[in-house]
Amino acid sequence: MEPRICCENIREAIEKLPMLSPNVSRLLQVMSDEDYELDDIVNIVKYDAVLTAKVLKTVNSPVFGLLNPVTSLDRAISYLGKWMVVSIILSDNTGDLFSQPLEGYEGQQNALWRHDLFAAFSCSEVARLAKQNFETELAFTAGLLHDIGKFVFAPFWKQAAPEALKRIAEGSIADYLAAERALAGMDHAQIGYEMAKHWEFPQPLQQAILYHHTPQNAPEEYRALAFAAHIGDMCAMMAGCDTGNDGMQYPLDDGYAEYFDVTSNSLAQILIEAEAQFKKAISSLSFEEEVD
Amino acid sequence: MSDIILGIGDYGASKSPGSIVKTYALGSCVAVTMYDPGLRVAGMVHIALPESKLNPAKGVDCPGYFADLGVPLLFEEMVRMGCQRKGRGLVVKMLGGASVMAGNDTFNIGKRNILAVKKILWSLGMGPTAEDVGANHSRTVSLYVDTGLVTVSCPGRGQWQI
Ligand SMILES: [Fe+2]
Ligand SMILES: [Fe+2]
Repeated sequence: MEPRICCENIREAIEKLPMLSPNVSRLLQVMSDEDYELDDIVNIVKYDAVLTAKVLKTVNSPVFGLLNPVTSLDRAISYLGKWMVVSIILSDNTGDLFSQPLEGYEGQQNALWRHDLFAAFSCSEVARLAKQNFETELAFTAGLLHDIGKFVFAPFWKQAAPEALKRIAEGSIADYLAAERALAGMDHAQIGYEMAKHWEFPQPLQQAILYHHTPQNAPEEYRALAFAAHIGDMCAMMAGCDTGNDGMQYPLDDGYAEYFDVTSNSLAQILIEAEAQFKKAISSLSFEEEVD
Repeated sequence: MSDIILGIGDYGASKSPGSIVKTYALGSCVAVTMYDPGLRVAGMVHIALPESKLNPAKGVDCPGYFADLGVPLLFEEMVRMGCQRKGRGLVVKMLGGASVMAGNDTFNIGKRNILAVKKILWSLGMGPTAEDVGANHSRTVSLYVDTGLVTVSCPGRGQWQI
């Protein structure tokens, strides 16, 4: 069947994306370096007044219930932990990438951010269950960025989404990713990969984005990271943090068992832990004020 | 408004005329609704996992998170609001428990939640009179205090009632 949406238009939209702020590029670069330290992150934040203010505001939010206000950046960052700081930097420097409502997916404002944040916390829990040597540091960030393709794709997808859901329901298309490919000629993972290339993300992140729904197809050296993103994504959807009409419409690739020791019991712990972290992040990052 | 919005692991009941008890995006979670048509008391719990023994500390912290603790607590709440302790006359419904596609059993938390809820309801001498469970889509659920009507919605699938 002929795709309804012109891939050329999508590629053009990617070309037109503004460059990422230098802070984000530096952060991603630092984190893909195997032995980076918390100090490397402190150094990104401390030269940016707005970012510093945001970190301090976050640590002093009522969620953390600190008796005395924290005024030093070092203390704030070591208290919040690097994941929270990574989230602050990304949410603060990516414009409306994560917050814009996802039209074609019928996703509410901030749906992508909520989904990605839940996935990210799940990913870092999954990373702890690695069976072999695994570069755990990138798992969180891979979770946070896995679905960026939906940002560019959503406006194009609007005209085709109802047809996609109908076809999946009647069984003529297997799942949502296949529907995107059939009706648009491209899926949100491929589009996310093009965006990641455009923004010169480190290679492991590019690959995790491209293969987050098909981790088995990832090149061997990036496969474990792709599986971590895949499982984190599934956890977010199961917890009700999806991005709209595509929620739970993706198959699970059970090849994860080779890389991660996920049992029904450890899966439950992942969900409990991720939800606790997610709740804290959502209420302290204060972007939620804009919703409702 | 005196609407009650329940997050994951929350439970609550209302008898304020005109209000609703609501929970968003169930995923693999299960909502149990209880309604007393005579007293017009409406209650709901949003359950995430089947059994508190999975994480006893979380069970202490947030009992509504688990079917084995959350369902009895909701029932207690209904009794506190005036419903009969025998549970007679309560209309019980069960919703949610979806799964991702072709998931293996490890990931079918939805199914485990549904079974656990049924088991605990039976032990309380109750059973769901209607259910909308399983499949591969999330559900947002509203229970209306005035009528006991339960509506379900999902992005891309519109709204229906059970
Ligand atoms: Fe995705
Ligand atoms: Fe996702």
